[in-house]
Amino acid sequence: MPEFEWQFTLVLLTNGIMIGLMYSLIALGFVLIYKATDAINFAQGEFVMFAGFIAAGAAEIAGAPFWLTALIAIGGMIGLGFGLERVVLRPMIGRPVIAVVMATIGLAAVLRGTATMAFGAGTKVIVLPVPDEPLDLGFVTLPPIQLLGAGVSLVFLAGFTWFFLRSRVGIAMRAVADSQQVSMAMGINVQRYFALAWAMAGVVSALGGVIWGAMLAVDNQLALVGLKVFPVVILGGLDSIAGAVIGGLIVGIVENLAAGYFDPYVGGGTKDFVPYLLMILVLMIRPEGIFGRRRIERV
Amino acid sequence: MFHRESGVFKTSYAADMALYPLPIAKWAVAAFAGLFIVIAPLALGEYYISILNLVLIACVGALGLNILVGYTGQISIGHGAFMSVGAYTAANLVVHLHAPFWITIPAGGIMAALIGAVVGIPSLRIKGIYLAIATLAAQLIIEWTINHVPAISGGVQASIQVPRPTLFGTPLKTQGQLYLFLMAFVVLAIVGTANLIRSRIGRAFIAIRDQDIAAEIIGINIFRYKLWAFAISSFYAGVTGVLYTYYLGIANYEQFQLTVSIDYLAMVIIGGLGSILGSIFGAIFVTLLPILTRWFLEDYGWLLFSGQDLQNAIPNLRLILFGCLIIFFLVVEPDGLNRLWRNIRNYFRVWPFSY
Amino acid sequence: MRHVWGVGLATAAGATMALCLAGTAVAQQKEVVIGGMCDRTGPTQVNGAGICPGIQDYFDLVNSKGGVEGYKIKYMEIDHEYKVPPAVEAYQREKGEGATSILVYGSPQVQALNKKLEEDKIPGTSPGFGIAASADGKRFPYLFPVAATYWSQGAAAVQFVKDKLGGDLKGKKIAYLFYDNPAGREPIPVIEDLQKIEGFELRTFAVPPPAVEMGAQILDIAQRYKPDFVIDHLFGSGPGVAIKELKRNGYPLSKVVALVWASGEHDIIGGGGWPVAEGYHTMSFAGVGDDYPVRQEIRDMYKKAGKEPPKAMADTVMYNRGILWAALHTEATRNAIKAKGGQQPTGEDVKKGFEQIQDFSLGGLVPPLKVTSADHEGGGYVQIFQVKGGKFLKVTEWFRAYPEVVAAAIKKAE
Repeated sequence: MPEFEWQFTLVLLTNGIMIGLMYSLIALGFVLIYKATDAINFAQGEFVMFAGFIAAGAAEIAGAPFWLTALIAIGGMIGLGFGLERVVLRPMIGRPVIAVVMATIGLAAVLRGTATMAFGAGTKVIVLPVPDEPLDLGFVTLPPIQLLGAGVSLVFLAGFTWFFLRSRVGIAMRAVADSQQVSMAMGINVQRYFALAWAMAGVVSALGGVIWGAMLAVDNQLALVGLKVFPVVILGGLDSIAGAVIGGLIVGIVENLAAGYFDPYVGGGTKDFVPYLLMILVLMIRPEGIFGRRRIERV
Repeated sequence: MFHRESGVFKTSYAADMALYPLPIAKWAVAAFAGLFIVIAPLALGEYYISILNLVLIACVGALGLNILVGYTGQISIGHGAFMSVGAYTAANLVVHLHAPFWITIPAGGIMAALIGAVVGIPSLRIKGIYLAIATLAAQLIIEWTINHVPAISGGVQASIQVPRPTLFGTPLKTQGQLYLFLMAFVVLAIVGTANLIRSRIGRAFIAIRDQDIAAEIIGINIFRYKLWAFAISSFYAGVTGVLYTYYLGIANYEQFQLTVSIDYLAMVIIGGLGSILGSIFGAIFVTLLPILTRWFLEDYGWLLFSGQDLQNAIPNLRLILFGCLIIFFLVVEPDGLNRLWRNIRNYFRVWPFSY
Repeated sequence: MRHVWGVGLATAAGATMALCLAGTAVAQQKEVVIGGMCDRTGPTQVNGAGICPGIQDYFDLVNSKGGVEGYKIKYMEIDHEYKVPPAVEAYQREKGEGATSILVYGSPQVQALNKKLEEDKIPGTSPGFGIAASADGKRFPYLFPVAATYWSQGAAAVQFVKDKLGGDLKGKKIAYLFYDNPAGREPIPVIEDLQKIEGFELRTFAVPPPAVEMGAQILDIAQRYKPDFVIDHLFGSGPGVAIKELKRNGYPLSKVVALVWASGEHDIIGGGGWPVAEGYHTMSFAGVGDDYPVRQEIRDMYKKAGKEPPKAMADTVMYNRGILWAALHTEATRNAIKAKGGQQPTGEDVKKGFEQIQDFSLGGLVPPLKVTSADHEGGGYVQIFQVKGGKFLKVTEWFRAYPEVVAAAIKKAE
């Protein structure tokens, strides 16, 4: 058994929590779309990547300061969200799950190609006015950029939880997700709320793209961060925002602990699939995730 | 004029259930067989035969995936991993035991089928999109295992060189020889799938897809049949992996990653879920798409781009076109190319009359 | 006097015209096809973005000067997105067009095409990647690494660390950070052999693909293991992320040496820029920087055509590697044509042409390679650079390290 070093474990835990919250941010976009439109978005990672490209491109071409590039990215992704909902998702309403999944996979390919063609194949950087030197708390050091990411994540997660529980628009969206026909009967414009859901997911992706892009780098590999979304949402429940938070934290912590303690014994790479193993276990015991709603199947 | 059913009267149950109930179907199949098995390898140049070889291998894989996704209704994103299981099994058998291809191909398939059945176990409790993501997990876990266990992967490089298959002592080296070799397996796969669908197991699969709760009520053990579906589909995948290995001369897990699984999923959806012809159409379409786009852009791309920009644009445009076509097919024709073909065929059933 | 001048001028004019006509007539017929695969999309597109234009530009330069020994080079570039079946199809296509040599891009593709190249007797090159054992010309007659393989790179890194740590590695700690796939793992056997010889402590840290997320590994390195030096063998966007993370965790970049695919400008930029990456050591098998005559010639070529030089030229690391790659093919083809007395060369001839490459330095861009029929690697020379003051500063001259250890590894790979 590996030696249990307290210092190191604490470091791994804090890193796991911060990264986990950032995963939650991306998962939030996924959950928003699923909650409102029942669509599984396999292109979530590509959304984040595309947003990062827009921000980095704006900085490069127009030399805009970071807050402006963030705004441009948000604006661009809102537009993209509306556009995609109209062109791709509206015709897919009512289709079987697999069709929607494939549509988003096709979308992912289109986004990847467009991003490279429009912005070039080189790696881009996003510069945020955050100091690089880690914050030394004595027993752990915290990189400021991760603090920023975690902070933004928490703010948004809290905001969206309130939104869905209290605001009119949020409640309407939940109604649409529950039953489109009844919502239409009550006078809710279903299509408008679909579009809104995609736009909101776009906003979240934009922020995710800017922060992840600043933390890592913006290029076509950023999209692969999106694969991490699946263990997070499955653990937490596909349609639960609180689940996105808890799921993200669990995945982040488990990943880091596995990488720190298992890797030296198996030659590395455990970080990638340990969350998936955990996910399968949870699925066998509780298929709808920790916070998900149990789906009742009617014959 | 082509009214196919006129004059054909079936007098026994066996005749009604036959694979090719109509005489015109038998003629058509014979014509295609003649065209593709005899004329094509003689008439086409080596480059074109090599493209056809890639298509043939994809056909086998697509047929397998269609059994699982199209006929049983279970989404699987792990097809690539099963292919790599088959590939490495065969490669290890060849390298360590010098097994001939008629042992390695079934062995690779069976190994993949076993792993496929294990992956299908969660289907007892989870369905739909959750099952799909579980298969995604399987894809990643199998990839990791092959990457990290040198006993399977043959060392740091994770590639195993495999000599060409030999038939009665002569190695099959040229594209033409490999074409006939692969064609034999495609024919076996098609006949196998067609018979499977007509049989009791196939009908159980379709029942599970359509209304699994009702199926369970009338006494079909859906868990057992789901496992069969996973196993059979993975068997096809394993065979595909072995064929790839023989074609390329090397087994390398990097050829069977997530993008490959997604490609095969695209094949069955674009081709048409739940049909044999659909799998073949899909395999042809998805395999040829990048090649055709490149030809097209190389010839006419100079209209839009210049020199280096064109080189930059070709691969990106190909990706965009791939995605757009998937979306296009899903939006416009959700039943895939197979439906298009059926529409054409039905049109000619009563031609030149309109009904 | 004037009479002589006039006659001389007329003769000169006539001769030039005759030569021109003869030149154009011949140039239109004599052509050598070189097939290449280069990825401008896919996981390695950051490298391809610099390498592919470099190759194209060099071949254009050669053609603009009349081709190689009078033969124009027809270069076919096909992108395969780092997948194997499109690479096989691309190879078939290029073979069908009569390619006499292939620039094979990507280690899995090298594996897949090895047998075909051998069957079809066409030489393929893989500088700085591919199968390390292919340095052995007897076992891999048609594969030419023509630049430091992963084994040579690993050995060179260890040599550099040894020099930096005062000439003795006993008891010192080295961390090997790598991309968790076969290409990333390839240097490990040689580094482990060197560990036994030199007596240092080694720990490997694998970063699973796509290597954009390595927090735990870097934490382990920077805060727990605390090695004396880090050897970085990541590719794609990994190196940039590693630079950022190491910096964030307070590990000095001057104790890091990167292998060749973690040594590009895009890695520095991805790491946050030149000031952030100060001190980072990089390794290259081609000259780095703008200070080479061939780059000026390419710029002049563009100026003469009235165009701006391409943006890719700003990348001096990857672009120069493209130039080196194309230049080696040109040189091999030149050797082949000369050996055949000006006749059209075949793949077999170009293969022999590769095996005659020596003393070809292209103004210092190409290391002192000596390719023979037994040694397809040419010596395994690399140069180490360091990021200082906003650019790459050359730290060592061309050197090769531990050739006996590498040769033993090649033999052991039987």
